[in-house]
Amino acid sequence: MKNFRFPAAAIAGAAAVALLASGCGGGDQEAASPDNPVELSVTTFGTFGYDDLYAEYEDANPGIKINPNNIDRGENARTDAFTKLSAGSGLSDVVAIEEGWLGSIMEVSDQFVDLNEYGAEDIKDNWVDWKFKQGTDSEGRVIGYGTDIGPQGLCYNGKLFEDAGLPSDREAVAELFGGDDATWDKYFEIGRQYHDKTGLAWYDQSGFVWNSMVNQMEEGYYTPDGELNIEDNAAMKEQFMQLAAGTEAGLSANEKKWDWGKGKAFADGSFATFVCPGWMLGTIQTQMESAGAGPEAGWDFADVFPGGASNWGGAFLSVPETSEHKEEAAKLAAWLTAPEQQVKQSAAANNFPSTVEAQEQLAAEAAPNELFNNAPTGAILASRAEGVTAQFKGPEDSVIQDKVFSPALGQLDAGTTDGEGSWNEAMKLLNELVVNN
Amino acid sequence: MSLLEKGTARKDSPVSGRPARRPLRQRIFGNGLKPGYLTYGLLLAFFLGSSYPLWWSVVVGSRTNEALGLDWPPLLPGGNFWNNVSEVFDTIPFWTALWNSILISTIITVSVVTFSTLAGYAFAKLRFRGNTVLMVAVVATMAIPTQLGIIPLFMVMRTLGWTGEIGAVIIPSLVTAFGVFFMRQYLVDVIPDELIESARMDGANMIRTFWHVALPAAKPAMAILSLFTFMMAWTDFLWPLLVLTAGNPTLQTALSQLSSARYVDYSVVLTGAVLATIPLLVLFAAAGKQLISGIMQGAVKG
Amino acid sequence: MTVTLKRPAPAAPPTGAVSPFRHRLSAWDQKFSPYLYISPFFLLFALVGLFPLLYTFWVSLHDWHLLKGQGEFVGLANFTNVLQDRFFWNSLGNTMSIFLLSAIPQLIGALFIAAVLDQNLRAKTFWRMSVLLPYVVTPVAVAVIFTNMFGEDPGLINNLLGNFGIEPIKWRTDTLPSHIAIATMVNWRWTGYNALILLAAMQAVPRDIYESAALDGAGAFRRFFSITLPSIRPTMIFVIITSTIGGLQIFAEPRLFDPTDPGGPQRNFQTTVLYLWEMGFQRNNFGKASAIAWLLFLIIVIIGLINFSLSRKIASADTKKPGNRAQRRAEGKRK
Repeated sequence: MKNFRFPAAAIAGAAAVALLASGCGGGDQEAASPDNPVELSVTTFGTFGYDDLYAEYEDANPGIKINPNNIDRGENARTDAFTKLSAGSGLSDVVAIEEGWLGSIMEVSDQFVDLNEYGAEDIKDNWVDWKFKQGTDSEGRVIGYGTDIGPQGLCYNGKLFEDAGLPSDREAVAELFGGDDATWDKYFEIGRQYHDKTGLAWYDQSGFVWNSMVNQMEEGYYTPDGELNIEDNAAMKEQFMQLAAGTEAGLSANEKKWDWGKGKAFADGSFATFVCPGWMLGTIQTQMESAGAGPEAGWDFADVFPGGASNWGGAFLSVPETSEHKEEAAKLAAWLTAPEQQVKQSAAANNFPSTVEAQEQLAAEAAPNELFNNAPTGAILASRAEGVTAQFKGPEDSVIQDKVFSPALGQLDAGTTDGEGSWNEAMKLLNELVVNN
Repeated sequence: MSLLEKGTARKDSPVSGRPARRPLRQRIFGNGLKPGYLTYGLLLAFFLGSSYPLWWSVVVGSRTNEALGLDWPPLLPGGNFWNNVSEVFDTIPFWTALWNSILISTIITVSVVTFSTLAGYAFAKLRFRGNTVLMVAVVATMAIPTQLGIIPLFMVMRTLGWTGEIGAVIIPSLVTAFGVFFMRQYLVDVIPDELIESARMDGANMIRTFWHVALPAAKPAMAILSLFTFMMAWTDFLWPLLVLTAGNPTLQTALSQLSSARYVDYSVVLTGAVLATIPLLVLFAAAGKQLISGIMQGAVKG
Repeated sequence: MTVTLKRPAPAAPPTGAVSPFRHRLSAWDQKFSPYLYISPFFLLFALVGLFPLLYTFWVSLHDWHLLKGQGEFVGLANFTNVLQDRFFWNSLGNTMSIFLLSAIPQLIGALFIAAVLDQNLRAKTFWRMSVLLPYVVTPVAVAVIFTNMFGEDPGLINNLLGNFGIEPIKWRTDTLPSHIAIATMVNWRWTGYNALILLAAMQAVPRDIYESAALDGAGAFRRFFSITLPSIRPTMIFVIITSTIGGLQIFAEPRLFDPTDPGGPQRNFQTTVLYLWEMGFQRNNFGKASAIAWLLFLIIVIIGLINFSLSRKIASADTKKPGNRAQRRAEGKRK
């Protein structure tokens, strides 16, 4: 019998060794030092601009090693976070959460560390009020430090504007759209003129325009008490039909969002305007670099937005309860979101900080952004952030944005349906994916 | 048809007394005995077709994104390969992933082959109550795709706290019905019943009979099963994707992680695909012949 | 793949004088050893194969959320919901379409390659290895590589087409092109593999049949269609069955073909396993995901049964067919 047992025992042994080898790890809460090295994993998404900051932190804190993991998009980061949350392990020590799915995280906020235990109270005044409040759950636990916010300005292509006989200077462009009184009516009207003259598209695809419109409303997909309010929301539908009319008139380039022909569409004049929350500037930069395009493409950034102030997106850093180094992780999250680092992040990722001091510094510096025709993007965003308020985000907000309206508007962009059909499709999807999921 | 009946495979017809020069028609189309240029031309075309995507990945992976946009794809690698390699290593824990993949695939292979040989031998050569019924049960379960069990398996791993560990990937694959079926079909023909009888006459107990009679005879089939099981474990994606983490991945999940993290650096991602393919290419170079004969023998067997 | 289970020959009891104790021991040994040998498989299989399948059914009868866990018992509501879910049917249609687009060209291609390889070649092993090469590239790597090749703009294939003035094909946006792209990934990896399986079957056809047919004046094509094809039919069925089961389960290729939306924004290439994943791990609905898993299981079983009965029919039709000398001889050799 000995011979028979041998292989089985060997396997069991090998499996046990493997489990032990990968399974051990300290649960210690001691501060990191060269003698007590600590590895911290950080999961971010999209263009976060943290690489240099990680290196800086490692230098300043001997014993800390940061293992970064970046996920292409917020949507995928959400899936990843929820899979790991439900698995009960595997979340990084520091996890970036997007505003759009913060609502669903809030439903399980007890799975995240209350940062009050690690000094959140002392630094809460760093942030603009509403941002800090967004990261606080209903029981007053602070589960996320704000990184950036997404005040929206208008990206436009100066060259294309010039070719179409429109002003290309960024003050004149702001004026053209109506300055402080800019409306969507005006935006679509100019778009139609542009399209008639050039035959080209005005915006890349309808989904992002729609996201901007909704984020601008006082109440979005949910009422502040958490009720869905879409189907019978006449104001929302009216706005939708306005967008649909524009798209049906040929204003949409029907680009694939997050792909844009591997960034090429930003360089080849496919569309002339782009709705730009702060972080989108980083996305555009990444896309254009990947396509080998630069300032010569002609993009610029105007201090104006149709319909007034709007905030789309922004992120938070949180520490899950499963982290084995909560204290060190909280320390890192606080450091990364401190004003000084936010300024650096903004320079690297082109996004807009959520702390008052960093915002003021960007506004004062008014540093030119080469990619955007030397526009002082930071200062413009600071101006765009005025009047922005937090909109209540429900648990399924990101699903409604990405899985309900985005595909419905995609059909509109592709011309396979009209405005009414697209709205109906959205309502159908809403019922299938949200109401009756 | 038995694996051992190698005699049925055609013997290469010996070409003796080769004529000085064949007519052109024969040189192109071949005659009954010797294939012509057309055959080799086609084979070359297959070869180019099956290797080009890999070569293209090497070419683009050793350049920058620009290579992807060119109207005519470049044919030769550029000078950016090592640069891209270091980007890959910076982004994913490549060596951890490689080690995990090796460990996972090896343990699964050892387990599947061991248990399949034991059970296959019992089904093929031993008489016991329920033999046929149980074997039919094995055959019936062959069609059950493991993917269908991911939800409860996921819940079990969560309850046990094994998510994130490679054990969570190994355990669901420790046995396969196919392995048992495969070993049984092989051993039925390959071990003469008389051999087992005579071993028993000599007073050998069951396990000794297994060890000294069945095991040596089973070795070729065990080798084939090993190769297939290893490949299967190595290529698995959905399950490791669900239970492993970014810090402790397999090569497959690490590659998908790379393509997510560096979503705009296409050449870096392709470099990653090339790097992730190298281990199996090495295995292929070393054991390609066995793999081919495994596939061909397994086919006749199935 | 007709499964014939030969019964093991009865083992005669050992003869010769042995002590009663040893005799008893030996009897136990003979009686229980077989169970001991098969038990590790069955125990492990029950644990990691059977239990999950049954538990999946249990979950499918409940409201069950990824994070919140078990909810109310809902009976078969999840099944009726899924059966009324247009995305489920959409995913089935996509799976079938991708499967057909891969199975048929694959079989034809594999037959062709096998026929070319089934000659008296120089450097045989080299050529065989060359067609098998794609098999060692894992589906994830295949997906990564081909996703870039099938990029809409730019992408290798559209770039090349552009040189001939052909408009870029919407590989990801349009339904049929996206199915072709994914089927190409599958075909590239598996055609050579299947060719080797068919080659093995072709080589098992006795050469003298070909020689006598050649003497009778049958040309190469004639020989292929009237001797080779009928002789390797069982193997072809085997190839079809394995590719059916594989085809119903593809995940990595469509998952990575569009990293943002599983199966494309309009779900135009969302396969059923991908939908199962979306339901469970994006929509967090374990109840419905389990129902999808079970429905997929039933479909696989049904297709398996159809395959099985078809192959039996074909096999029996073959043996009944009179006058087909080659066929009979090949079959005769087979058993």
